[in-house]
Amino acid sequence: MSWSRRLAALLPRTVAQDSGGTEPDPRFTFANERTFLAWSRTALALVVAGLAIVQLLPPFPGVSAGRHLLGVPLIALGAVLAVAAYAEWGRNQHALRRGEPMPRSVLPWILAATVTGIAIIAAVVLLISAIR
Amino acid sequence: MTAPTGPGQPGDDPEERDPGLARERTLLSWTRTAISFGALGGTVLRVNAVTGLIILAIAPVIWQLGRVSRGRGARTELPAAGQARLLLITASIVAVSLLCLVIAIFGKAVPGTLR
Repeated sequence: MSWSRRLAALLPRTVAQDSGGTEPDPRFTFANERTFLAWSRTALALVVAGLAIVQLLPPFPGVSAGRHLLGVPLIALGAVLAVAAYAEWGRNQHALRRGEPMPRSVLPWILAATVTGIAIIAAVVLLISAIR
Repeated sequence: MTAPTGPGQPGDDPEERDPGLARERTLLSWTRTAISFGALGGTVLRVNAVTGLIILAIAPVIWQLGRVSRGRGARTELPAAGQARLLLITASIVAVSLLCLVIAIFGKAVPGTLR
């Protein structure tokens, strides 16, 4: 038995825990899954960026907590984004099964707001360290 | 591949629909996700060897998850274990984030490596 089949045997065999509606076009199911995976990769990239800022960047002169101020929120955002992406996948699949309009995504808003906030903090930290 | 006519496609038998290249695109997407885990593991490896190796070990599992229920059998075969696989990915990312958070806060920094 191949590894993938052994792995499949361990997982519950459900397409969606949603008995209502009809099975949507497989292309839509695949597209929904790819969107989830794209958000997951974005979450991982945020975690890598946060860790690199905290652990690998040289300290900012005069702002001892500068690296943590920038890196820790990025890592936390990675975790939040992963959970939100899963919830959104479920909502989208639910809408697809019932032929309803796709729900509005909050993920781009969360990402844009947090990245903007961190960019502002980064600018302030850089300015302070340049002055001192 | 014909263009989809509407969400859900009520009345059509899902088993008779050909997903075309969507299956390949999705498999590639899983591969990219596994590579992302590998890249994160490589970065963490420089900071904390044990945690880095744990994250690196997740990468092949993610890659295999993408191949679950996508055998070479029926062309229209659907991902039968879809929800559990995606939940596993989410749980992995949250666990990895928490590990990285602990390393970021309590770990010994290697400053200047990116200078």
